[in-house]
Amino acid sequence: MSAASIEVLGLTKNYSRGRSALVDASFRYEGTGAIGYLGPNGAGKTTTLKLLTGLLRPTRGTARINGISVVKDRKAALADVGAIIESPEPYPSQTVAEAIDMVGEFRGGRPADIAREIGELNAKLDLPPLTARCGQLSKGQRQRVSIAASLIRDPRVIILDEPTSGLDPKERILIRNLLIELKKDRLILMSSHLMQEVTEICDQVIFINQGQVILKDSVENVARRFQTRAVDVEFDTPIHIDRIRALGGAVREVTVVAERRFRITFDGSTAARVEILRGLVGLGPVLSYQSASLVLEDAYLALMQGDDARAVTA
Amino acid sequence: MELHDLPSDTAQWLTAVRRQLRFYLKTWRFVGLLLFVAVVDIAVTALNIAYNSAGSSAGDYLYNAIGAMPTFGVIVGAFIGGDALAMDFGSGTGYFMLVLPVRRIVLLLGRYAAAFLAAFALILVYYAISLSGAVWFYGFLGVPWGDVVESIGIAALFALAVLAAAFLFSSFFRSPAISIVVTILALFLAFDIVDGILSITTVEPWFSILYAGQAIALVFEGQPHETIVRVTAARGLTIRSWTPYVWEGVAIMVGYLVVCLVLSAIIYQRKESKG
Repeated sequence: MSAASIEVLGLTKNYSRGRSALVDASFRYEGTGAIGYLGPNGAGKTTTLKLLTGLLRPTRGTARINGISVVKDRKAALADVGAIIESPEPYPSQTVAEAIDMVGEFRGGRPADIAREIGELNAKLDLPPLTARCGQLSKGQRQRVSIAASLIRDPRVIILDEPTSGLDPKERILIRNLLIELKKDRLILMSSHLMQEVTEICDQVIFINQGQVILKDSVENVARRFQTRAVDVEFDTPIHIDRIRALGGAVREVTVVAERRFRITFDGSTAARVEILRGLVGLGPVLSYQSASLVLEDAYLALMQGDDARAVTA
Repeated sequence: MELHDLPSDTAQWLTAVRRQLRFYLKTWRFVGLLLFVAVVDIAVTALNIAYNSAGSSAGDYLYNAIGAMPTFGVIVGAFIGGDALAMDFGSGTGYFMLVLPVRRIVLLLGRYAAAFLAAFALILVYYAISLSGAVWFYGFLGVPWGDVVESIGIAALFALAVLAAAFLFSSFFRSPAISIVVTILALFLAFDIVDGILSITTVEPWFSILYAGQAIALVFEGQPHETIVRVTAARGLTIRSWTPYVWEGVAIMVGYLVVCLVLSAIIYQRKESKG
């Protein structure tokens, strides 16, 4: 069996009045792993995922899953796909078990296998009571039911549109850990606003803005490319933030991360990095001085502000 | 890990029928319609028995008892089928259902069949109550069972036609509530008004589903195709009331069924989940 794949080639979606939601987007991923799809609201993330699942028809271009065109044969293309787009809602009168069971049946599962899988998913996702009606569930509970439904019958490709949206911190951790486990033998494409989540789950990232893919690379490479734009400094004794700001020079912006710990953004040059360290040492005993860990956030902000000359389409 | 073979379209259609029927039977609107049918028809039958309104024959009794079926059928069809497709675009249900590896035409036909079964169940309740009155007056053997079967068959076809029209309206809208209201207004009020206006012209309302629905009761008692009444008080105004031939009613229903179902399938197939 060939490896799981997601392919988008010259995909364009124009809405009425000439508004372009997606312009000539192209990317291809194969095998296993997780790809983060990042961009601001209205950037074209959900549009791309809808085109990939046949909820929208492209104006131009092709979307293929496992080598099968979604436009030409949607059923075959989605045969091995679990997807969550926007906020899915099972039939309100269905119970949790019935909703997941129905998806399993549409996917061709035998009743005994589906029942076993529902039990496993219940254990993994801490689902609401299986006899509860979906219409009475909270948003977070509904989301977990939808995630379970998308995973029934073990699809090789998983497409998720902000999967942890509306979930509480405990549920987010649950889903994050599940996705980290799933990506070992599945191909996951997920959009998200949460950089930390993408950093933890994904191996590859795609940045999109105003309908155009502006960067696609591995998380590692993006981190390398953007890691010098911010540093975290920790002092041994309390220091007022204004004293750091007063250093001026290479310091662009200072924010408080925690008590005695600050994040300083600068132009990314080594010279500026050294200059800032010299200044900080003069303010008090420095316990640590290192690149900020939220590199994707830095990359995201830089790319969306369009001030990064290093942003290239790989 | 293995690539799962998907069920055939037929198998998925059966799944859609079963699941959707279960959904319909659990909704309050079905329970409400069932109560509405039962209460109204039991009341009418009880009044007929109480006032000994047996009509001139069993056929005559059933002609009157079943005469309200087109109105009742439109209400049932609109409430059951009015949001069948709109629900996929006005709520999150579509994001749950339309990302599944199932052809939309299979989903549509599954829902259509389920809506028909739910509507037909209500129609049978209506017939059962009406027939109980006929049996009360004329005994079991006095009931023209052949005509009853024919009438039920035409009522089933009428339900299919109304549901096809309801599905068509449903495919236009994104809001399930608006879809149901517009379906009722269009099928019930609009055709009634148009029929009324046409009664002062010479045009036969062959395009009206309510007109075609009269065939359901006409199998029990023939009526003249065209009745002309001259109202002298209104300066010789001529009012025509039309009654379809049974075959004509059936043909109109088949036309509705085919045209509306094909159009709704095309629209549903092409409709996008925007917003």
